[in-house]
Amino acid sequence: MAIVSVKNVSKDYQLGKTVVPALRGVSLDIEPGEFLSIAGPSGSGKTTLLNLIGCVDTATSGTVMVGGKDTRSLSERQLTDLRLHTIGFIFQSFNLVQVLSVFQNVEFPLLLQGKLTAREREARVMALLEAVGIGTYRKHRPSELSGGQRQRVAVARALVSRPALVLADEPTANLDSQTGATIIDLMKEMNQRDGTTFIFSTHDPRVMSHANAVVRIADGQIVAREELNGQAAAGGK
Amino acid sequence: MAAAAGETKILFKIALRNLWASLVRSLFVGGVVALGAFLLVFCVAMVGTINRGMSVSIQNSLGGQLQVYNASSEDKLELYGGMSGESRLVPIEDFAAIKAVLEDVPNVRQVVPMGIDQAMVATGNAVDIALERLRNDVRRLEAGERGPELERSYAAHLGHVRRMVSLLAQELSQARAIADLGGREAKERQQEWEDLTRANTDEFWAGFDRARYERLEFLENKVAKLSLDAAFTFLRYVGTDPQAFFRAFPLAEIAEGEMIPPGRRGILVGKQYAEEYLKLKNARRLDQIKEARDRWRRTIARDEELQRWVKENAIGTREILLQLDPLRAEEVTGLLRTGLGAPAGEDLDALLQRLFQTTDADFDRKYRLFYEVIAPRVRLYSINVGDTITIKAPSKSGYFNAVNVQVYGFIKFKDIERSGIAGMMSVMDLMSFRDLYGFLTREKAAEIAQLKESVQVQELTREDAEAALFGGAEAAPAGGVPDPAPARQSAIDETALLEGVKSGVRPEELAARVYSQEEIERGVVLNAALILEDPGKLSETLAAVQKASDDAKLGLAVLSWKKASGIVGNFVETLQVVIAVGMVIIFLVALVIVNNAIGMAVLQRVKEIGTLRAIGAQRRFVLAMLLVEAMTLGIVFGLLGTGFGVAVLSALRSAGGIPASNDFTYFLFAGPALLPSLSALDTVWSLAVVFVVSVLSGFYPAVLAMRVTPVEAMASEE
Repeated sequence: MAIVSVKNVSKDYQLGKTVVPALRGVSLDIEPGEFLSIAGPSGSGKTTLLNLIGCVDTATSGTVMVGGKDTRSLSERQLTDLRLHTIGFIFQSFNLVQVLSVFQNVEFPLLLQGKLTAREREARVMALLEAVGIGTYRKHRPSELSGGQRQRVAVARALVSRPALVLADEPTANLDSQTGATIIDLMKEMNQRDGTTFIFSTHDPRVMSHANAVVRIADGQIVAREELNGQAAAGGK
Repeated sequence: MAAAAGETKILFKIALRNLWASLVRSLFVGGVVALGAFLLVFCVAMVGTINRGMSVSIQNSLGGQLQVYNASSEDKLELYGGMSGESRLVPIEDFAAIKAVLEDVPNVRQVVPMGIDQAMVATGNAVDIALERLRNDVRRLEAGERGPELERSYAAHLGHVRRMVSLLAQELSQARAIADLGGREAKERQQEWEDLTRANTDEFWAGFDRARYERLEFLENKVAKLSLDAAFTFLRYVGTDPQAFFRAFPLAEIAEGEMIPPGRRGILVGKQYAEEYLKLKNARRLDQIKEARDRWRRTIARDEELQRWVKENAIGTREILLQLDPLRAEEVTGLLRTGLGAPAGEDLDALLQRLFQTTDADFDRKYRLFYEVIAPRVRLYSINVGDTITIKAPSKSGYFNAVNVQVYGFIKFKDIERSGIAGMMSVMDLMSFRDLYGFLTREKAAEIAQLKESVQVQELTREDAEAALFGGAEAAPAGGVPDPAPARQSAIDETALLEGVKSGVRPEELAARVYSQEEIERGVVLNAALILEDPGKLSETLAAVQKASDDAKLGLAVLSWKKASGIVGNFVETLQVVIAVGMVIIFLVALVIVNNAIGMAVLQRVKEIGTLRAIGAQRRFVLAMLLVEAMTLGIVFGLLGTGFGVAVLSALRSAGGIPASNDFTYFLFAGPALLPSLSALDTVWSLAVVFVVSVLSGFYPAVLAMRVTPVEAMASEE
């Protein structure tokens, strides 16, 4: 069963008196374990699609199923819970809480979930920080870190609650190409280690090349889906 | 539970760290909150203390907790008088009847009868007093009495009067120099001048012993009237049962003299009233200068008012000169000359001017000299303990009633004696009050009945003379009555009245009469004060008293002390409203400022809030986080502001408080200084208000923050 199932989804934005269509009848299934890139030029609807999948926005028409749940039928509260437990987010500009330390930023989703004890949280956070290579910076504030380090923290935060799905909107856009490549490598490593589904948007062909599959989008419509190698299909089916 | 704890903990952590991260804004918002808290605490303390002070002043000096008066009165009862003078009240016919009913109401401890009014008091003048003394000597001599003591007294008093006549002549000649003598009254003036000139001749005095009564009457009728200064002052009094009054009002004290004995007629004159209106003007001004210097650190050198007092004292030596008979004048001259180190030739007038012409350097010395040398030899107060004074007031029918009452002492109200509102009040017995106000006491009724029965010429003449004196000069019968005997009688009465000697029927009997409690209470009063066992239950008792009155058909209106205190009570209420409105405005402004500041903080943190929402924080988390920020500011800076306010208040108190600068503030402060203090309850209330306002001002931005959608987190950085 697909972890994400988008069927005939349209999304219109109201811009003053004119209606601007961002997505026009998009359908897409994403299988668990995929490492999928959504590619397209600026304004093509990449971010809108990610927002719908990430349950931070709702479709004008069509259905978005995440983890088997129809997001349209969920309340604001339930959507928030779905995000907390099922989805991890990695942002283009890292979006760390400036006043919290690296450790606290990563621990934050666990605190909201409230399922683990302090000891368990510490073990899980530290393991992840080690895994993304910034274990020694646990007490630093985000402002004391480089861009690449910050995005590593963000990756750790996205994964800490062991979500089924991680969404990354242009995760490398604010990084130089080399750092960007290491972040993508890190994401891929996590994808392969835990089988977590990753969906990331990008317009950088070099970043795209790391994906198992690329969904090309233009003018709010999917124009192509390319399988880059057999791994995704193999992992997904 | 652990889950919520972790979430709450991180919520507080983010909130507090955000406050710290934007320290400048936090300090700004906090400053506004602290200032608001400080102002609130300060104003609440001031108003609260004034309110407590005034409530002590009023309740314990005149008001009691409740006041009742006749509900059919035209005016509302105003204990301290209204804008248009005393309130016009319909009398309560039988105090005993209402007392019986009201004392049975639970929580009512005592019912005090009252009748408050103003009256005129004859204070007499120096010439009259001197003439009266001389008349006493003459009477004894004419009766055949002899002796060295009487001779000396007669000579001294004769000399005094002669001295007065010469002083008056000097004064009048100066006045004539500047007066227009061609006017309408020129003839009358001319006659006055001729009379005075005659009295100022050696022939007049050389012949005095041959025709003592004739000469004395000439002086009384023709000369004394030329010196009609300070003949009357107004006196505010409460007619009451003095014993009950002192039981009811713990602030009342006898400042001098003694209590009016139970059942007797008599008056206790307000001490402050005596200071201001009855004291020798020069002495009063010296006192005022002393107080201004000692208490207010004012200096004669720099203060125009003090300079004016000094000047008035130096010019106004006449009252003292008139009062000193030749013997005493001689003594005073010698003592002053030594005391002031003046040249040998200086006369008394010059010496007095030298005495009163004070500077900051010699004021204290001259003040002492005045009280050592002059004060013991003059009448320092125009009314003294033991005097019988004549008080008159217009009755309801329009003609003047007069009563003679003995001054048993002076009354003051502890701590607020200096207040013009409380300290001016005199306390008089109910019988005299009823006579004065125009209600018939039994004696008065009997007296009138008797008069109607046997029309005695002498008595009628006396009554006529009294009516003429009090009703208007044009009706004066003295000149028109052919028979010289009544004319003479009336002249004596005039003097007697001014001097304060009994003029009514059987005065000695009246003064000596002891009334029973029943007689005192079975009669008219204007209002009554109710003293409660527990003043805290004022409103319940008010309702109960009103009900008891209605049930018994007493027709009483019941007021709280605050309402009954009229403009005085209103003042504090007005003050409270003004301050409350001021505080509301201040807090509204603070609310808007804090609201804006936090709102801007929210705008700057939209991305962070969106992120929190995106990664799974519920709306309530965001709401709570922002409210925690506002609350923290409210608590921390509210406490700081309150603490500062309390510190300022206690500093004010240890510095002696805010001094009462005039009579009214004395009353408000219930003493010479306001020691503002904040009750624990008020402190808690103030803090609560500050806290609520800060939370309110953080609420709208918090709701805005709550509405931030997680989409905001996705927006790319500009």
